[in-house]
Amino acid sequence: MDKKPEVAQKQTLEQQQVLTVPPLAPLVTYPLDVVIADTRQQTPAVGQRATRPDGRLHGLGQTKYIDDWYFPGMLFAKIKRAGVASARIKSIDTSEAEKMPGVIAVITGKDIPVNTFGPSLKDQPVLADTRVFHAGDGVAAVAAISEQIATEALEKIKVEYEVYTPVLDPLESLKLETPGIHAPSPNIYGHKVIKKGDVDKAFAQSYKIFEGQWRTQMVEHVPLEPHSTIAMWDANGRVSIYSTLGRITLGRADVSRTLGIPMSRIRMIATVVGGNFGGKNEITTEPALAILSKKTGRPVKCTFTRPEEFYASTTRHPLIMDYKTGVTKEGKILGRKIRLVLDGGAYCSWSETTLGKACILSAGPYNIENVYAEAFVVYTNKTMTGAMRGFGAPQVCFAYESHMDEIAHSLGIDPLDIRLINAFDEGSISPTGQKLQSVVVKESLLQAAERFGWNSGVHVNGNGQPVGARS
Amino acid sequence: MVTVKLTVNGETRTATVAPETTLLRMLRDDLNLTGAKLGCDVGDCGACTVIVDGKPINSCLMLAAQADGRTLSTIEGLANADKLHPLQKTFENYGSLQCGFCGPGVLMSAKALLDENPNPSVPEIRDALSGNLCRCTGYSKMIEAIQVAARVMRGEAVEKTA
Repeated sequence: MDKKPEVAQKQTLEQQQVLTVPPLAPLVTYPLDVVIADTRQQTPAVGQRATRPDGRLHGLGQTKYIDDWYFPGMLFAKIKRAGVASARIKSIDTSEAEKMPGVIAVITGKDIPVNTFGPSLKDQPVLADTRVFHAGDGVAAVAAISEQIATEALEKIKVEYEVYTPVLDPLESLKLETPGIHAPSPNIYGHKVIKKGDVDKAFAQSYKIFEGQWRTQMVEHVPLEPHSTIAMWDANGRVSIYSTLGRITLGRADVSRTLGIPMSRIRMIATVVGGNFGGKNEITTEPALAILSKKTGRPVKCTFTRPEEFYASTTRHPLIMDYKTGVTKEGKILGRKIRLVLDGGAYCSWSETTLGKACILSAGPYNIENVYAEAFVVYTNKTMTGAMRGFGAPQVCFAYESHMDEIAHSLGIDPLDIRLINAFDEGSISPTGQKLQSVVVKESLLQAAERFGWNSGVHVNGNGQPVGARS
Repeated sequence: MVTVKLTVNGETRTATVAPETTLLRMLRDDLNLTGAKLGCDVGDCGACTVIVDGKPINSCLMLAAQADGRTLSTIEGLANADKLHPLQKTFENYGSLQCGFCGPGVLMSAKALLDENPNPSVPEIRDALSGNLCRCTGYSKMIEAIQVAARVMRGEAVEKTA
């Protein structure tokens, strides 16, 4: 006897147990009776804790983001990134990649019917075919039966470049003699001036003039959910696109334009977005995936890797901000002159909106009779900059508030007082001539100062812990 | 190919996967448990957190084969047919999840904490969540919700309906 009977029996039982597990075991059990929270039944929302209608699904892990979707026969796409900041593409050889088992289709920019898009200027290629403008530019797309095979296939794609010296400094790009990055278009692709009163006269009357330059860096949105899209081209010539886009109607127009088909043939399905912050406001690889789906007759999914989020999606504009402010002895601002240079990166994206908002808000929430603000946005060979929370407002806020602190320090005025002297009141006129209503800047400052312990000399944070002493 | 047999949320499951498959990929692609999310694939964001033999781990950093014979809890096993886990209930009541993508990972880290320490201090909660990144909600509401859930689990507070 080679095995004890009970051991053999146990083994058989174990095998049976494995065999009887259904191919798809019951996945999840959860209570189906959803009780509506009090907060959503009471009309006065103020003072109530905000809950979300989708909170239950989130907590159960049952919210379906795109990457949780799968369609039968689905292929996985990966994008070959240029890896050079500025270059002319001499040739792209995809033959080795196409030969790989498991690779179903490979496309380049030449396969995209209209290879340009953008929310305002149409200066961005879906896949770069002649020129590379930043290192994250896609130059080819692969659809394969697994993500791993698609990733491996990228390495077999050979691209020959004539590499150019990239322009990375926005101040360099601002100079007229610098060759146009998107020649014949000039490097300065957006310009705005806001003028109120006469700054030079104000400076002449000032007790003291302060100058300073502030710079902010590029910021990536880093949504926890990376960009993801599934495209399905059907035999009727219609394409369905599941997308993480926050603006599907704009996206639909861009997809229509790039594919050269009417919008009626495009169905955009917005799925639950796992974080946007402005970074998912425009299409990225959607047209390439649609073409891959058309070529293969299969649904095609592409999910960005985390590094791709950083170098191939939009970012926040870095700003170089020059401020010049004339004040009275008491700290009243008489005039302010501002120059903003926005690093627009390789493509326009939402630069015009950002330029406008940064310029409009650049003088700060202060009553200033004489303002001259000028803003430029320029191309550089860097990751494109676009929409991000505040559209330029946070950058200028950093500059004018730092500026205010320096002025206060130099004049020996309390930083709170200099703001109270200058801040907007009800009915104040903004630099663009808007009469402001519901203005509570001073009240907010005073309330914050009280809770912050500003006058006690010891500052406390939200938990009542001291965070530093007043100098 | 390797065959992995493990206990997930109390059920024996098996899958045959390529040797380089991570536990996260196997859970999502082979076992159809898509609650754990792929956020970075390098162990930074914690969206893929699951509990393996009582410890919260980044399932993107563990090979599927390493989970063979082990006992796993994922977000899908946190509730049962009768009721939500107190954490799920308080997270819902306190609006602790906005986009929700980090939620499954945060909840599993919190569960592992409360299983080990029924009365954690705020610094201990912060420490337990240090491997979970959130970009929309922020951590304050999560910490509040975890404190309340802990009180409910200790029998010191009554669960609110909803």
